[in-house]
Amino acid sequence: MIYRARSRFLALAVAAFAPWVSAQTNVAPAVPPVIETRHSELGISDWLLRMHEASRKRAYIGTFVVSSGSNMSSARIWHVCDGDLQMERVESLSGAPRSTFRRNEQVITFLPESKTALSETRESLGLFPDLLKAADSSIEQFYGAKQTGSERVAGFDADVVVLQPKDGLRFGYRVWSEKRSGLVVKLQTLDVDGSVVEQAAFSELQLDAPVSMGKLTRMMANTEGYRVEKPELVKTTAVAEGWTMKSPVAGFKSMSCYKRPVSAPDGANPESTMQWIFSDGLASVSLFVEAFDRRRHVHEGSMTMGATNTMTRRLTDKTGDWWLTVVGEVPRNTMIAFSQGLERRK
Amino acid sequence: MSQDNLVNRELMSALSDGQLRGDELASAFASLAKSDQALSTWHVYHLVGDVLRAGDLGDVRGDMAFVSRLRAQLTLPVGTRSSDEPVPLDEFRTNSHILSRQSANDASTRWKVLAGFASMVAVAVVGWHLASGEAGLGLDARLAAVSAGGATATASKAQAGAAGTIEPAVMLRDARLDELLAAHKQFGGTSALQMPAGFLRNATFENPAR
Repeated sequence: MIYRARSRFLALAVAAFAPWVSAQTNVAPAVPPVIETRHSELGISDWLLRMHEASRKRAYIGTFVVSSGSNMSSARIWHVCDGDLQMERVESLSGAPRSTFRRNEQVITFLPESKTALSETRESLGLFPDLLKAADSSIEQFYGAKQTGSERVAGFDADVVVLQPKDGLRFGYRVWSEKRSGLVVKLQTLDVDGSVVEQAAFSELQLDAPVSMGKLTRMMANTEGYRVEKPELVKTTAVAEGWTMKSPVAGFKSMSCYKRPVSAPDGANPESTMQWIFSDGLASVSLFVEAFDRRRHVHEGSMTMGATNTMTRRLTDKTGDWWLTVVGEVPRNTMIAFSQGLERRK
Repeated sequence: MSQDNLVNRELMSALSDGQLRGDELASAFASLAKSDQALSTWHVYHLVGDVLRAGDLGDVRGDMAFVSRLRAQLTLPVGTRSSDEPVPLDEFRTNSHILSRQSANDASTRWKVLAGFASMVAVAVVGWHLASGEAGLGLDARLAAVSAGGATATASKAQAGAAGTIEPAVMLRDARLDELLAAHKQFGGTSALQMPAGFLRNATFENPAR
């Protein structure tokens, strides 16, 4: 009896769902034909473009797992696109509950425990693929791509591609790119000796899933009951802040520079921190510079968390003392090169 | 399908998903109260949701196979059913032995051994590689200084992997560093891999609780 009832439920569900699914066809486009390119001939820019385009043209739902050191986090992902519009919903499954929504560069993170919503504009999200197409792109100069085989990830056949750095100043990457679409289904960050320092992968993935953009838009806009916070950021330049890189680190270009207020515990310090961002196209490094404070800035040192390294240094100059924090997904030597290259101009 | 009907269905769909607030919510309840059709739509959408969420509910093939196997077994005389076959106890023992063994490459296990004196909280693989200039300062002094500063501090011996050299290391995290890490993740992600995977990575990954 129960089976008959269940079958009826299913038939009902399918019948009720059919018009909705057909209405979504513009959202989940037809599966493109398998690209018959001999993948071994693709260069790094071709691979990166292919992976990028896949994420822009496919709708999917999946479970994403990130493993960094001995820590593991996972989240449920919904992704949908319509022309140039990209939407994403990331619902954390581990740690504190968090929902992150992205609509192109607009990102909002809901933290239900504190009833806070962080609203940001992430300009960097829009830079690619222009970043790659730019004539002075340094990616090909500092990384090479090599297809090393095929493996199955989350039920999909994927090309395994190694993005190999050409010097010791950056990490390498091993990328699993789904064969038909090119979508990145797994990513490993490799140390200079080739060992895995961090990895992220879909444990389960449904490509061309029926994701409703309208529903995601409604959820993203619904901040009722939440205190919406926006980071206080001021765009600036390193020169205007009085800083320069006297010996640039090979391949890393200045991308942007911001000022953000320091949130000292006692609220006594109204000074701001400069964040100067560099990238070589794949890895990025932030230099945070603030006025030296004897009470708070006690520990010079460096720290490793998966692929992310941090390093703190006191900089002394005739004009005063400064506190530098370098954060980036680069080897430690690169952090040292950045800390030594930074110089006060005024 | 009339326009009203369509609107009503969309409203019921949103209600089923818990998306409605304020006036929309009130109007959805009003529809439910006065229209049997609305009630039925709401019910169907719930059902659709249930079936979509639980793949097992929708797929009854496995159940049918199980039922036919069970029926076949039930018709057999006692003593000849497969469930009557004795299972050797040794099999259970072997299995439980395997299960209770720790994986050799379990990072947290290895970490506990390395950490030695460190608290169990220090499972997170976070190593504070000491700067050479700080070598004169004792471990305890550094820890005391951090604790006095109101920041959370955890300490453990760790392996510094930078150039294959072993350095003494202590794990230090404070709220300020977390803030800068978050700022880097938000605005520093100018990577070609950001769009396919980096954004998901950052949104998914939570720094270990301190």
